[in-house]
Amino acid sequence: MADGAAPPPEPDPDPDAGADPVADPASGPAPVPGSDPAPVPVGPASAVRPFLVTAGRVAGSGEAESGRTMPVETQLVTTVAGLDGLDRLSFERRDIVAACRQPQSIAEIAARLRLHLNVVRVLAEDLRRAGQLSVHVPDAGVTHGASVLRRVIEGLRAIPDSRGILRDTD
Amino acid sequence: MTPTEPLTRGAAAQRTVRPPLPVKMVIAGGFGVGKTTAVGSISEIEPLTTEAAITEVAAGVDDLSHTPQKTTTTVAMDFGCITIDPTLKLYLFGTPGQERFGFMWDDIVEGAVGALVIVDTRRLDDCYAAVDYFEHKGIPFAVAINAFDGKVEHSLDEVRWALDIAEGTPLSVFDARERGSVRDALLVVLELALARTEGAA
Repeated sequence: MADGAAPPPEPDPDPDAGADPVADPASGPAPVPGSDPAPVPVGPASAVRPFLVTAGRVAGSGEAESGRTMPVETQLVTTVAGLDGLDRLSFERRDIVAACRQPQSIAEIAARLRLHLNVVRVLAEDLRRAGQLSVHVPDAGVTHGASVLRRVIEGLRAIPDSRGILRDTD
Repeated sequence: MTPTEPLTRGAAAQRTVRPPLPVKMVIAGGFGVGKTTAVGSISEIEPLTTEAAITEVAAGVDDLSHTPQKTTTTVAMDFGCITIDPTLKLYLFGTPGQERFGFMWDDIVEGAVGALVIVDTRRLDDCYAAVDYFEHKGIPFAVAINAFDGKVEHSLDEVRWALDIAEGTPLSVFDARERGSVRDALLVVLELALARTEGAA
């Protein structure tokens, strides 16, 4: 814990460094199988203070740097530093870092934690700068590429017609 | 290379998981046309709903004429996902049904590989906005008539004419409640996207 309490790395001046495009799915450590993370209550977002947690900011500072908003499917993953520092985080930041031990999209985090999308964007950018979260903005050139599209098509074709006996009984 | 560079020490580095590549498709159409049903039929998770604050222009709304020109609205958006393999995940996002939420559509649609526009033939008017939107954005899309109760009120030709859908845009009938039917409708969109990618290469 003492060692883990070291301050997070210097805020990265290079906006691209933290926004690592998920460009090469074949490399890197073995990903966790696509299991659904532990169930988290889903319900209406709080209407009371959606942007209080962001100190009134409605757009991440990273947005200004990169000139674009993080797409809703942008993947968030807790870093080792984020996990080590979990005890020092509170409220929404802690919830996000805890939830993203399983990679999740901005939209999933917003839904599961009942936060507005733009609140998640702001906090994700904060946490990325603090080294606690890695933010993987998909590279449109890759996702729109023929090889990825073919893999999605093959994967979809493998889905059987029926889910089983539970559907369409009404 | 990765944001976790300072932490590449020993076993700790192995704890950082590489996320799947997210591929996004959009399910659009009028209110109550079956978007959430379609997502739910094929998603591996129960469709999630997120509420996003959006800014919309309030021009023409009398009650707000004395306020600044923009107002913030909260819209609900349903989505689901399909894990293709551990490195690839397909996300399906439903657009909020109302035409005036164009801002939110941009937020959702940015980066989408394609879109499925669902049509209820009893309310053809409801999907004009979606057809127009994707045509103008240049996003590959197909139109699928949701056959409620297995019946369609108009022929495909009639619908194509009424909606002024371009010849190259696929139009079919499907059932949003049937997983295989939703799968096939999504495949039409993906094959169109692939053909466009290959045509451009």
